[in-house]
Amino acid sequence: MKVLAEPDFVFECRSASVTLPLNGGARPIISDINLDVREAEFLSIVGPSGTGKTTLVRMLGGLLRPTAGEVRVKGEILNGPPEGVVIVFQDYANALLQWRTVAANVAFGIERKLSSKECAARVSAALDLVGLSKRADDYPWQLSGGMQQRVQIARALALRPAVMLMDEPFAALDAMTKAGLQDELLRLRDQTQTSFVFITHDIEEAVYLGDRVAVLKGSPGRIDEIVRVELPSPRDQISTRQMPEFLAYRYGLHKAIGHG
Amino acid sequence: MASQAWSSRINWAGLSVCALMLLVWEASVRLKFIAFEFFPAPSSILSGAVRLAREGILLEDLSHTLLSIAMGWTIAMVIGVSIGLLLGFSPVARKFGLASVEVLRPMPGIAFAPLGLLLFGFSLQTELVVTVLPAIWPVMINTMGGIANVHPRLTDVGRTLRLSPTEIVRHLLLPAALPSIVVGARISLGLALVMAIVAEIVGNPAGLGYGIVREQQAMNPDLMFAYIAVVGVLGIILNAGVLALTTALWPASSRVAA
Amino acid sequence: MSRRFSKFSFLAQSLSQLPSPLGLLPLIVILVGWQMLQTGNSPYFPPPSTWWAGVVQSATAGKLLPACTASLQTIVVGLLLAIGAGAVVGILIGISPRAARAVGPLLEFFRAMPPPAIVPLAILFLGYDERMKLTIVAVSAMWPILLNTASAVERIHPILLDVATAFHLSLSERIRLIVIPSVMPSILLGIRIALPLCIVLTLLVEMLTSIEGIGALMIAAQRNFQSGQVYGLLVLVGLFGFLINTVFSIVQAVILRRWPPRDIQV
Repeated sequence: MKVLAEPDFVFECRSASVTLPLNGGARPIISDINLDVREAEFLSIVGPSGTGKTTLVRMLGGLLRPTAGEVRVKGEILNGPPEGVVIVFQDYANALLQWRTVAANVAFGIERKLSSKECAARVSAALDLVGLSKRADDYPWQLSGGMQQRVQIARALALRPAVMLMDEPFAALDAMTKAGLQDELLRLRDQTQTSFVFITHDIEEAVYLGDRVAVLKGSPGRIDEIVRVELPSPRDQISTRQMPEFLAYRYGLHKAIGHG
Repeated sequence: MASQAWSSRINWAGLSVCALMLLVWEASVRLKFIAFEFFPAPSSILSGAVRLAREGILLEDLSHTLLSIAMGWTIAMVIGVSIGLLLGFSPVARKFGLASVEVLRPMPGIAFAPLGLLLFGFSLQTELVVTVLPAIWPVMINTMGGIANVHPRLTDVGRTLRLSPTEIVRHLLLPAALPSIVVGARISLGLALVMAIVAEIVGNPAGLGYGIVREQQAMNPDLMFAYIAVVGVLGIILNAGVLALTTALWPASSRVAA
Repeated sequence: MSRRFSKFSFLAQSLSQLPSPLGLLPLIVILVGWQMLQTGNSPYFPPPSTWWAGVVQSATAGKLLPACTASLQTIVVGLLLAIGAGAVVGILIGISPRAARAVGPLLEFFRAMPPPAIVPLAILFLGYDERMKLTIVAVSAMWPILLNTASAVERIHPILLDVATAFHLSLSERIRLIVIPSVMPSILLGIRIALPLCIVLTLLVEMLTSIEGIGALMIAAQRNFQSGQVYGLLVLVGLFGFLINTVFSIVQAVILRRWPPRDIQV
């Protein structure tokens, strides 16, 4: 009998929980998380604030060890930040090195690993991708908030990671920049087969970008529902968002979170 | 649970490091690991301090230094706040005065000691010259800065409420500038303490500073250390006390960057 | 882009922030008035012309230059030593919160201790020589740098430390690439505080012990009742201090041109 091989999981969470010490006691932040992410998959995670979204990202990124359960990357249990996984933080101002030029910031992850020529080529490509080639010699503090976040994304792109973990990266950007970058991410995923785990509070963004959308809610945060998004690809900012299926997903997720 | 929280607030690590150092020091001298004649054991420093206190010498010197600090600081405050207010409120005064202030400010207070000695000899006046002149600047700069940094909206508020210019200054601008002035006063006080000691070391044979030099020249290391310790403790108490007092009276002054 | 940091615009910007030179008028008026009013030979308030004469006298006697050199040497070398020790120890303490807590009270005590009070102690221990002068300047000036550095290391934003972990930085890379650049503005602030301390202590030791330097020159002038010279040297010290501070401000501005302006405190 023909056995269809399952695609390998890039990420696997089994009953992962994180409990943090707080005020002399211990508070569970997220509990019993079961997740898996496949290669080249775009997983969106939506949830209201206070449900532990950032904690989840940090756990997946290897900055936090789960107090219970396990997280595996390519089959191996996580022990610190894994190779091939890069986090894009929400707080771009403090995630960038303000004393380095934009180009030097983008090179930060790769400068110790590649020759300077290769490094420069990748930096240049990454800056082109996010549209900041003209600002390569400026300093982050001279740039607007949105541009700084694009620098952080470029830094992540330069690493050519297997997984990009993004913690509400576009929350501070204006609608047009957001839309452009959303499409960039999708194009990038198609070109490089990178997987994305994308945390957001914007349900429309989650549906537009995601192959699947996980709903994180409650306190401690739990994922009770993962919705598969069956929308045609490539997605388009105007037509996709108008499709009845899109609106249905949107409605369903709003209800799942508890709005309306 | 309450006692647990209380005991976790005490810096056990810090206390034990201090205690350990004192013990090692005491042991080294007693066991003759350190046989330096000028390096006394903590116990003899303590007994020396007690002796000085009992003979009243310590109190006399302490009072002199405190008096000197109080006088010097008060004079510095009066001059500093006045000039600060003038420069703060009057752009004309700033135009014709700021550069002079910037030139005079970096002058090290101690450079006035020889001049003080020349004019007044070994006396309290010399000590005051050395104490007052450097202490003027922090309170002056902070007064000026406090007024300059008052939000312009505050003046608008005053005018909307039909307050007279005097009332605006008295009820809006000065209170708003007060935290900054208080911080300047604190810095000036600390500076007055240091400069009083400097003046007593170099210019005026009286007070704690002179006590240090006197015992150094008399080769009484235990008494010299005792005086130094008193100066250190005085500094801590003065700084902490003034900080607590001003924060209690003007809570906003603890939030202003010094 | 790099045009933004062209040296000329930088210089022009800095110069425009200086106060109006008209502000020097009060000083000039006082000096001119003093000169004109003092016709007699007052030993206490000699006219400014004698100040200049006094300084020239010092110079021609061959004493001025060696004294200035000696003082400057102590100040600069003392400051450099203080920076080396203060920055290194500050970083070490800042990195380890446990060390910071353990050493905390000790540091607070040393911080509260007025450095001039230690001068007689240094004289007793180390004798009357150049080495003693340098030691006390370096050891005293170390504290503001150490404390500023340690507190800045403790306050490095946790996200930046996450970035260091996420990008697999080794400990030495972490210190070199993240910690040191992060705390550079604070180190410079500490140096700014330490600089006048170096000047004051150098002068103090020279006055107390008559070890070669400007302070010794001033005390000698006072003892010989050369009042013009006392005033003149006072002005010289003032100029000295002004120059050193200006040079430092320029150095600080140049080093910190890559940092966000809000980090730099005046």
